[in-house]
Order: sequence, then C-alpha cells, then structure tokens
Amino acid sequence: MEFTLKTFIFYGFALITIASALAVVTVRNIVHAAFALMVTLFGVAGLYVFLQADFLAATQVIVYVGGILVLILFGVMMTSGRLEMRIHIERGQLLLGGGISLALLMLLLTVIANTPRWENLTDDGTPLEPTTKQIGELILNEKFLLPFEVASVLLLVALIGAALISRKEVRD
Amino acid sequence: MVVTLIGIILLCPLAAFAIFALFGLAKRSFPRQDLLSTAAMLVALVCSFILLREVVPDPEPHTVDWISIGKITFSMGFYLDSVTVIMLIVVTLVSSLVHIFSIGYMHGDPRYPRFFAYLSLFSFSMLFLVVSDNLLGIYIGWELVGLCSYLLIGFWFEKDSAANACKKAFLTTRVGDIGMFIGMMMLFAKFKTLSLYDGSENGIFTLVEGLSGTGDMIWLSIAGVLIFCGAVGKSAQVPLHTWLPDAMEGPTPVSALIHAATMVAAGVYLTARMFPILTPGSSLVIAYVGGITALVAATIAIVRFDIKRVLAYSTVSQLGYMMLAIGAGSYVAGLFHLTTHAFFKALLFLGSGSVIHAFHAMHAHHNDEHTNGEEHEHDDHSLVHEHGSEIPPDQDMRNMGGLRRKMPLTFITMLIATLSISGVPFIFSGFWSKDAILGGVLGRAMEWNSVHHYLLFGMALCAAGITAFYMFRLIFMTFFGEPRNQEMHDMAHESLWVMVVPLLVLAILSLPVVNKLWFNKDYIIRPDQPHVHAPQHAYVSPDTKTGDVDFGIVFFGISEAEAAEDEGGQDIGHADDAHHAAHELAHNIAMVLSIIVAGLGILLSWLFYHRRRFSAESVATKFSPVYNLFWNKYYFDEFYDGVLVALTVWKSRLFAKFDLSVVDGIVNGVATIVRQIFAAFIGFFDNRVVDGIVNRVAEVTWAAGGRIRRIQTGAIQTYLFVVLGGIVLIILIFRAL
Amino acid sequence: MSLQHYLVISAILFSLGIFAVLTRKNAISILMGIELILNSCNLNFVAFSRFVTPSENIVGSEVFRLDGQIIAIFGIVLAAAEAAVFLAIILAIYREFGSIRPDKVDTLKG
Repeated sequence: MEFTLKTFIFYGFALITIASALAVVTVRNIVHAAFALMVTLFGVAGLYVFLQADFLAATQVIVYVGGILVLILFGVMMTSGRLEMRIHIERGQLLLGGGISLALLMLLLTVIANTPRWENLTDDGTPLEPTTKQIGELILNEKFLLPFEVASVLLLVALIGAALISRKEVRD
Repeated sequence: MVVTLIGIILLCPLAAFAIFALFGLAKRSFPRQDLLSTAAMLVALVCSFILLREVVPDPEPHTVDWISIGKITFSMGFYLDSVTVIMLIVVTLVSSLVHIFSIGYMHGDPRYPRFFAYLSLFSFSMLFLVVSDNLLGIYIGWELVGLCSYLLIGFWFEKDSAANACKKAFLTTRVGDIGMFIGMMMLFAKFKTLSLYDGSENGIFTLVEGLSGTGDMIWLSIAGVLIFCGAVGKSAQVPLHTWLPDAMEGPTPVSALIHAATMVAAGVYLTARMFPILTPGSSLVIAYVGGITALVAATIAIVRFDIKRVLAYSTVSQLGYMMLAIGAGSYVAGLFHLTTHAFFKALLFLGSGSVIHAFHAMHAHHNDEHTNGEEHEHDDHSLVHEHGSEIPPDQDMRNMGGLRRKMPLTFITMLIATLSISGVPFIFSGFWSKDAILGGVLGRAMEWNSVHHYLLFGMALCAAGITAFYMFRLIFMTFFGEPRNQEMHDMAHESLWVMVVPLLVLAILSLPVVNKLWFNKDYIIRPDQPHVHAPQHAYVSPDTKTGDVDFGIVFFGISEAEAAEDEGGQDIGHADDAHHAAHELAHNIAMVLSIIVAGLGILLSWLFYHRRRFSAESVATKFSPVYNLFWNKYYFDEFYDGVLVALTVWKSRLFAKFDLSVVDGIVNGVATIVRQIFAAFIGFFDNRVVDGIVNRVAEVTWAAGGRIRRIQTGAIQTYLFVVLGGIVLIILIFRAL
Repeated sequence: MSLQHYLVISAILFSLGIFAVLTRKNAISILMGIELILNSCNLNFVAFSRFVTPSENIVGSEVFRLDGQIIAIFGIVLAAAEAAVFLAIILAIYREFGSIRPDKVDTLKG
C-alpha cells in the first residue's frame, strides 16, 4: 500500500480516535473524559467520510456531538459535586476489567486476522458522491419505512419515559 | 307382548314409588300421590286381565343374563303360567281395592303420601316375586316384600308397639329366610343354576327329574324343607307365626293387603312353585306344619277380643290350610284356597278397618279432650303382646255390638266373607276351596291308607269347625246384640263410599258365580304343553300315578262350582276309574263332614254369643287350663321371650363381659406394652434421627445460603464481569474445540 | 485502507468501551463506554456495507450498499434514546441514593 496523503490522513484519524477513546476510559476527571469522547466521536465521523458515508458523518457530528454529548455534560453537571468530578478507581477491578477487555480484543483481532473472506478487501475507489438523496429515498420508500416509523415511536417513548423517570415526585 | 305387559305391570307401581322418592329428594311430595299410586295399580290390573285373556299359555322363557361369575351365570327373567297369572290378578286386584279403600281410611294422616308410595313399592315387589322365573329373583322380591312389610307395620312408628312389631316381624321372618337361602344354595350346589324353567334342559325342574337314588332323595327332602322354612317365616306358620298378629299394629289396609291377601300368601306361592322338587318326606313335614298351624291358630282366635287379632289368627290358620293342601299333594286346591282366601280375608280386614275407622274418628275426638292420656299407658313393653288392657278401644269387640243397623253395607259384606270362610255350602267360594282341600287330604289318606293323612284330615276338620265358631263369634259380637258402649256406638257411622265400594267388589268376588265370569275355561292349561308336565309324580308318589297335583288341572275349572263338585281337585289327567271313584267318595265324605262341622260351629257360636244360652265366661273358668293356654297363645311368645330372647340377652351379656375383660384386656395390655416400649423407641428415633436429619439439612441449607448470597453483591458491574468473563470463556472453549 | 483496518479500529474501540463499562466508578463514565461500543458497532456496519456488500449476492433480496449506513443511522437514533433514558435514570438514582457510583447502588445485595 503506497503511502499517500489519503492514507496519512486515514491513519491520523485512526490514531486520534483510538487515543482519545483511551483517554475517555482512563482520565480521572469526568469532564475531561467527556471532551475526549467528543474527540473520539469526531474521529469516527472522519472515518465515516473515508467510508464514503457523508450523510452519516454529518449525522454523527450533529447528533452525537451536538446532542448526546451535551446531554452527558448536563448529566455530569446535575449529578456530580466537585468531589465526584474525579472518578474513583479500584486496582483489583481495574486489573480484572483490563484482563477481560484485553482478552476480548485479542479474540476479536484473531477473528479478524483469521477470516479469509475479509482479507484484501480494499476500497474500490468509487468516487465520492452524495448519499443523502439515496438514503432519503430508501428510508421513505417501503424498504425502511416501517423501521423508520418504529424508530420515531421509540424516540417518543424514550422522551416520555425519560421525562417520567426524572420527575421529582410521582403523584398518584 | 308378554314382556311388554309384564313390564307395564311391574313398572307402573315402581314408577309411582319412584316419583314419590324423587319428590322426596326435593323435600316435598307429589300433590296427589294417592291418585297416582291407585292409577298405577289400576293400569297393572288391566294389564293382568289382558294377560289372562290373551297370552296364557306362554311357554316361552323371557330371560336375560344378569350376573356372570366365572362359568356361572345368574339370569333374570319372567315365567308365565296359569299360576303366575292368577297371582298377578289376585295381587293387582286386591292391591287396587286396598289403594282405593286407603284413600278414605288414611285420609288426614300426616304421612298420607308416603303410605301410598310404600303400597306401590310393595305391589311392585310382590309382582316381581310372582313373575320371576328363578329362585334368585324370587328371593329378591321376597326380601323386598319383607322390607315393605317392615315399613308398613311400623308406619305409625311413634307408637312403641308398632315399632316393636315391625322389628319383630322383620327378625322373625329373617329366621325362615336363612333356611330358605341355605336351601337355595343346596339346589345351586347340585344343579349349578337357580332357574326354575329356562326353556332348555337346564331349569331346576327339568334337572330334578334326572335325580335318582335314596341319597339324592334325602338330600332333596332336606333342601325342600329348608326352602319351606322361608315360607314358614313369611306365611307365619308354627313356630314362626308370632309376628303376624303383632303386625296388626300397622294400618288396617296394610293388614288386608300384605298380611292377609298377598305377602303372607307368597309363602304358599313359593311352596307351590317348588312343588316339583318336593319329596314324600318334605311333603309330609309341610303338611304337618300346615295342619298344626291351622289348628293352633284357630284355637287361639277363639279367645281374642281384638277384632284385628281374631282376623290375624284366622289368617294364620287359613295359611296353614293351604300349606296342608300343598303338603298333602292337593296343589290345585291349595292355590284355589289362596285365591278365594285372598278375596274374603281382604274383605274381612277392610270391613274391620271400616268398623275401626267408624270408631276411630270418635276415638281421636275423644283423645283430643283427654290429651292423649291412653296412648302412654302401653308404651313400655319390650315385646308386643295382646292383653285385655292393651287392646285399643276402637278395636276391642267388647266395645262393639249392634252395629248392623249403623253400618249396613259393612255388615252385609263382612257377613258374606264370614259365610265364605266358615264354609257355608254352595254359594260361597270358601266352601269350595276348603272342601277341595279336605277332600284332597282325605282322598290321599284313603288312597295311601296313611295314618298321617287321616290325622291331618282330622286336624283340618277341627280347624274348619273352630273357624266357623270364632268367625261367627266375631260377627255376633260386632254387629248383633245391644251396643255395649253407647257413647262409641252413637258416634259410629257408615264409611265413605271409597271405603264401601272395595268392600262390595270383594264381596262379589267371594261368590264363585262371579269367578266363573272371569276365569274362563278356554284358558285352561293343557297338560301336554312342555312346561306343564307333572314332574312330581316320581317324587310325591313314586308308585302310583295319582294325586290331584297335576299342573294340568285346571285351576280355573275348579273355581267353578260344578268342577269342584265333580273333580274336587282330583285326578282328571289319569282316568283310572277306581281311583276316581275313591276320590269322589272321599270328596263326598269330606263335604258332608265339613258342612256338619261348619254348621256345628255356627250353631255353638249362635248359642254362646247371640242367644247367650251358655256363658262364655263360665266355660272359660271351667276349663281354665285350656282357656289359659289359648289366651296365652300356647305360650309361644313367652317361650321366645323367656328362652330365646333371654338366652340371646344372656349370651350377649356373656360376650360383652368377655369382650370387656378378655378382649379389651388383651388390647389394652398390648397397647400398654406397645406404648411403653415401642413408642419410647419410636419417640427416641423420631427426636434424634428424624429430627436430627431435618435439622441438619436445614442448618446446612442455611449456612450455604449465607455463604452463597455474598455472590449477589447487588453491584451491577460485578454481574457484568461475570457475564463478559463467561462470554470470553465460552468463545475460548469453542475455539479450542 | 482495507476492511481489516476499520475492523481493528472498531475492535479497539469496543474493547475500550467494555473496559470503561467494567471499571469506571461513575455511571456517566459507563454511559460514555457504552457510547464507544455503539460507535464501534456503527463503524462496523458502515465498513461492512462499504466493502462486503458489493461482492455478495444475497439470494432473493436486493441488498444496497447503503443499507449498512441506514442501520447505523438507526443505531445513532437508538443511542440518542438510550442516552436520554439513561440520564433520566441516573438523575432518579442520584435523588434516591445521593450518588451515582454504581457500587453504591446495591439494594439487591444478598
């Protein structure tokens, strides 16, 4: 594989993503972790671009960064006093969790490495073209119409449920 | 046709009873049980007449298999011959009339519907007994009529005397039934069947012909006598006769139906049915029992004052007559007397019921004023005996007299019945039947030159005279003379028409002229039919072909005056002139003698009780030992009370003592030992081992739970660790595989 | 850039998310771990739809290259809903227990 600008940028995004994800799970300050998560999400959005998924990359930025991350930050603000900004860690738990995660990673990597079908599948270099129109047609056509409607109902339910659960008092 | 008719005859009364029982389940009663039961009986009566007209003779067996045990099958079925049909008609006719009579007699009784239901059940049972073609069916009907008798004697069970009487009747007849059952089992052991006739060669009467040899004859004699034991109990023969007079505690229609006309005649019927298996030995036993009963009961009846007891002893005496007839081989005469007796004795009972009812209304009225004082006087007697003071005033003939003007219809009908039973010649049925018996016995005696039969003839003749005497004593004391109790006399009145009409019907039936109308000669059973052969020839009189016992004779014929005169129940099937002449001679002698003794009896009765030429009291004191013997009924009750009952009580006490001391002692001793030793061991085992195991298990479970519950930290991440660790492990394991 | 590149990145993100969920003592950090896991999954969907689908002919159904992207969109929607409910639950827990440390919430402890 020749080392072009494109690959350079790809590796850059990959590195940013992984490094910031590492930061998310390691930093002690929860606000810092949240910002690291933001970086990770951006990195993933960049990777989506490399996968020719422009609409998805935009959605990722808007929803995750603009919505979910803000929501998380609100959660942090509302629940953590100054003392709890720092995340408490137990050593035994850390080792055990690290072991299990590492074992999972190794397993996944061996699966990836040992699956012949997935080898040498490179980008066929199809030129980047906007996917928004196609996605819109697919969603509003028959093929994904029902999941789309179900997803909208799910969102409504989640909204109502969240409001109900987080209410101060439940009146009879 | 036959099955349908018999089905209707049986089911009508049963349905009437079933309706009562079903309503009883709902704790209410059918609105007009009396009419229902009466209607059922009338339907049965009509069907019986149709059977007489249309179907007899019917040689076909109607049998179904009922119970199979191994190779042995008990069947149930109907058998129809002339005897069956005559019995059907007698039962349904008397029962219908008694039903009608009871509508008046029992009116106002608190258990009025139940009375009719019991009557229906009784009628069903009796009819079932009559039509059965096998001993098992007869036995079932036999016990059912016994039950109904028990229920109806004890119908007024508030009275101790009635309650005791029904128990006595039930237990006494049971003694005879045990004998009957053993006899049945003997026959069954020999023949492997209880069917009498079953069309093929397997009925008892067919098989019995194949028996031979002296051993078999002795065996057969014993079986016959044992079966006759049942008849002794049911037909109140000496020595089991004591229950029948006490049975008069029941309502009078019951006495008329069950204890005069039908159930007690079932014993005679059974003996007649079993006629083919009787041997000379068992016949003689039957004849003697019958003769002694006739004489003993007649003499007791002379001195009774209770109108119903006079009739009860009269019934016992007349049943003895029938038994005597069958035992002496005069089969047809016995059944003929059964029929005529059923009518005139039912008439006598219903007539006495009419008289009692006339007095009873007043008596009840009397009791209202005196707050039932009299009822309590005779409450505390363990067994019921008739003593002067115990006679209910409305049944005491000493309170009656002069009633013929008050109750003319009752008087006339009862007079006809009395003339009939007394043997007043020629126009009354009783004369012909009684004469047939006397002639048959004398004929047998002359033919066999048998001392036994001369003796029996003497007994029967005496009984006939005494019968005439006490029956006219009853009539004179009740209906003639001056009223002895003016107050009661004033209250007496003729009964309602529902009670009088049955009396009139029965009175007409006591005239043989009427019988001729419905006993039609065309329905005579011909001797050559397969089921009317004369199986008794080989046994009753092995050496002579004689006897008036031929089935073929012609029961119907004899009920006609001229037939009775000509043949006298004698042999027409074997036209041997010498025998025929001998029998005719015997018959004529018997007739003359019976007319003489009957006249003598009536004359004496007239002198004693109407003209008062002699004083009964002075004769009684002069012959006080005899009088006391009669008055105390030959001390049968005293004997039973003093010996059998006392023995039973003594034995029971002994057993009770044995039970209390020895059996209980052993049981208690064993119990103590067990409690002390075994229970202690068990207790130890229970406390230590069983409880120990249970407690250990509980402790282990508790401790384990205490340890294991720590796994459940409640912290969500612990669970996640386990889940993910598990996933990793599973994947590793599967990859390794 | 082959498929395996993306898969490796996705595997790393997934493992890190698992690590966060297992070890972090703060409910919101756990939520972040979950978001990482969801992102890794979405990345997988998109990558597979980009690389695998064109060469596959799944019999009887029309498979488009964009299917994986649409699934990923639904995944994002799910993530949003999940985050909202999760935070609502965290708020409720905070009010109930005064803390959002997952090891303090142990009412079910045996």
